[in-house]
Amino acid sequence: MASDVVIETRALSKTYRDFWGRAKVRALKSLDLEIRQGEIFGLLGPNGSGKTTTMKLLLGLLFPTSGQALVFGRDASDVRKNERIGYLPEETYLYKFLTAEETLDFYGRLFDIPPQTRKERIDQLISEVGLDWARRRQLKEYSKGMTRRIGIAQARINDPDLILLDELNSGLDPIGVREMKDMILALKEAGKTVVMCSHLLADVQDICDRIAILHQGELKELGRVESLLRVADETQFRVRGMSQACQDEVQAVIARHEHELVEMTNPVSTLEDLFLSIVRDSEARPGRRARVETAEQSESVN
Amino acid sequence: MVIETDILNFWDWLAVGSDERAPALLQFVVTIVVLALVGLLFGFLIAAVRHGPIAAGDLVYRVLRRAAGELFRISPRRVWALARLSVKESLRKSVLASLIVFGVLLVFAPWFLGSESREPVKLYLSFVMTASMYLTLLIALLLSTFSLPADIKSKTIYTVVTKPVGAHEIVLGRILGFTIIGTVLLAIMGAGGYVFVIRSLRHTHTIAVADLAEAKASGVQRGLSSRDMGHRHEATVDKDGHVDVQSAIGHWHDVAGEPENGAYVTSSPADMYRARVPIYGKLRFKDRNGADKDRGVSVGNEWGYRSYIDGGTSATAIWTFDSLREEEYPDGLPLELSLRVFRTYKGDIERGILGSLVVVNPTTGLRSDIRTFRAQDFHIDEQTIPRKLPRRRQDMKPGLSEELDLFDDLVDEEGRVEIWIQCVEPAQYFGAAQADCYIRTRDGLFWVNYWKGLSGTWAQMVLIVCFGVMFSTFLSGPVALFATAGCFILGTFRDFIIKVATGGIEGGGPVEAMIRTFTQQNMTSELEAGGANALIETLDSPLKALMHGLVYVLPDFSSYSQVNWVAYGYNIPWNLIAQNLMAGFAYLLGAFIAGYLFLRSGEVAK
Repeated sequence: MASDVVIETRALSKTYRDFWGRAKVRALKSLDLEIRQGEIFGLLGPNGSGKTTTMKLLLGLLFPTSGQALVFGRDASDVRKNERIGYLPEETYLYKFLTAEETLDFYGRLFDIPPQTRKERIDQLISEVGLDWARRRQLKEYSKGMTRRIGIAQARINDPDLILLDELNSGLDPIGVREMKDMILALKEAGKTVVMCSHLLADVQDICDRIAILHQGELKELGRVESLLRVADETQFRVRGMSQACQDEVQAVIARHEHELVEMTNPVSTLEDLFLSIVRDSEARPGRRARVETAEQSESVN
Repeated sequence: MVIETDILNFWDWLAVGSDERAPALLQFVVTIVVLALVGLLFGFLIAAVRHGPIAAGDLVYRVLRRAAGELFRISPRRVWALARLSVKESLRKSVLASLIVFGVLLVFAPWFLGSESREPVKLYLSFVMTASMYLTLLIALLLSTFSLPADIKSKTIYTVVTKPVGAHEIVLGRILGFTIIGTVLLAIMGAGGYVFVIRSLRHTHTIAVADLAEAKASGVQRGLSSRDMGHRHEATVDKDGHVDVQSAIGHWHDVAGEPENGAYVTSSPADMYRARVPIYGKLRFKDRNGADKDRGVSVGNEWGYRSYIDGGTSATAIWTFDSLREEEYPDGLPLELSLRVFRTYKGDIERGILGSLVVVNPTTGLRSDIRTFRAQDFHIDEQTIPRKLPRRRQDMKPGLSEELDLFDDLVDEEGRVEIWIQCVEPAQYFGAAQADCYIRTRDGLFWVNYWKGLSGTWAQMVLIVCFGVMFSTFLSGPVALFATAGCFILGTFRDFIIKVATGGIEGGGPVEAMIRTFTQQNMTSELEAGGANALIETLDSPLKALMHGLVYVLPDFSSYSQVNWVAYGYNIPWNLIAQNLMAGFAYLLGAFIAGYLFLRSGEVAK
């Protein structure tokens, strides 16, 4: 096995059984995967496709029916591998009676982190996830988004080399989603490996290096995002301030070469970009209506 | 009444054993080996059904290899974190509300306990210690059985087991956490109960000077104290005005100073709370014809701790005490008797059965004159053997006797003396065991004994926590609760279940007993011979074997209850506490390993 392979599965299969041991559902069928250090890897698929099962098998929460899952070269059932792993489950399963500080302190102790380092790390993480103001409140008083943030903090308490994120953006608002994406990219910068599973494809597309698409427990596609999504027989230009004459000329050139012009239009920003710019403007000028320039406003001015 | 079995010294208990009991260490090793083999076989069979025998063998081998590696890798910081979590969880679940329940019990206790009991100390101590025990055990049961299943159900366990935490650390952390909570609860209840008993039973009497009658010859005035807490004391006032208050229902009072407003006022009770430290002798018997025997006769329970001597015959119970030194007992031997009384006819139930006591030199055979006493069941008779004892030789004229000195004449050179006890009344019996006649030298500190008594409850609580956590690693909360409560009940009635399983009790096994219940048949009547009876026996035998096997591996919960020691005023030997703690530790170890294997072998995500 190459030294930079972080996760390796070999014909990994999982069949759920009923009380009497009879096979009920084949959740994962002979999955072969290799995830390398520094990658952001996305597991995609509709509900029930085997994404979460794969993740639980990698964490040792489930035992494979056949095949093997190796994490950092150790069997997934070996607890020692967890020293280098951070995990954020689908829902944030934390102890509601603990405060944010107590939560991080508890998980820090589980990693056997010495008191001083633990304290520094807790302060840093609480600050990073923006919960300084609520650090002494019990989690039962937290909103879903806040709980998610503290969940992310607990997943990073040990400064892990591998982070597994299940349904990454569940419960987060668009700002949280953007911050999360930024965080993941920062982790990649720091050489960490991130494995995430989601069915929100846009999120995955933005940040993942490679993806695997699962359906009914089977691997249907695996590869680099840009090569998977690239449309080879189409070409796209983006030009700022193009005059009508220039547009006409370009259309004429395309026609002369007998190519088909599929679309020539002004690009549309994403709703996420619009939302974020409104929120930023609102924060900069509280109490005023947002001043974000849209295409409609530009036309009316003209 | 307190001791119903021999108490071996620690080393004998652990490694040597006695005629009736195998050494504890051997019992422990056998139990562990048998349970481990059964567990492995069971695990192998399940795996073999699912994956085939070869894969099952490989699986079992891997589980064992992994266990050997993991069990010894314990991080104190992780275990402490999990223990703290359990403590916080318990506190946030308002576990301290149990203290309010205890407080309410104490507030209303005087209503139903009353203050007129003949043995108020026993009553109050039993109540307080029993209430603390059941409340603590109940809390321990609820906390330990529901915690882990709740974590698994709410999936918070996902965020724990995906950290470098071993299943053994989760089990140990929980046991430690709930033990801490149980200990704190028990300590608070114990302290509250102690204060409650002392305050409730504190009282004084007044002795009215006008009520004192003067004896003509001596000039000593006699009278009765006022009636407080349901009793009076006899009091004497000598010529110098010194007041002596006689002992009643186990205590006496001091009177200092002159009478005020025509009455003496006594101090608070003295010698009320005791922790007797008995020195036991060796017991042997003589049968009704005067022949030496190891045991007396049986009055029903052939294997019982006590055996009996028949009244009006030569049957004698003889205790031999040794290493007695004159300087330790300058005023005589403070002897106490707590003989069991077995009546074949009722007689005057208020009066005890007449018995005789003779002090005998085991070397010379020299005997003191007979001293008589009346023995009542569950009553401690204090018999101080004075330094000077009368002895009437046969050649002496009636009314004359010589005087023997206890140490010069009756204790031999090796410091041994024999106490011969007979039952005088024909057709009545005295039950005697080694612990029923002892020399009471000094008393231990009562409050120390009280806490020693609570240590038994503490050990029970730890056992409940161990079993609760162990069961909760593979059962749902309610099922784990029933399983743990079942273990407690089976362990508490261990002797009875062993008797049922071994046929020592009339009425047969569970199936036979059920048939008898439904058909309303007497327990002692023979079932009709035939196929049905054979079927019942066939069904009963595996059940009996299962019962026997189960109670063999379960702790004897009844032996941990030391309430009676404290309530009856006996110092609990450290030896007994050490045995209980050692046995508790053995179960902790077993529950720890079993809990680890169950939690590690099952999938956390289901």
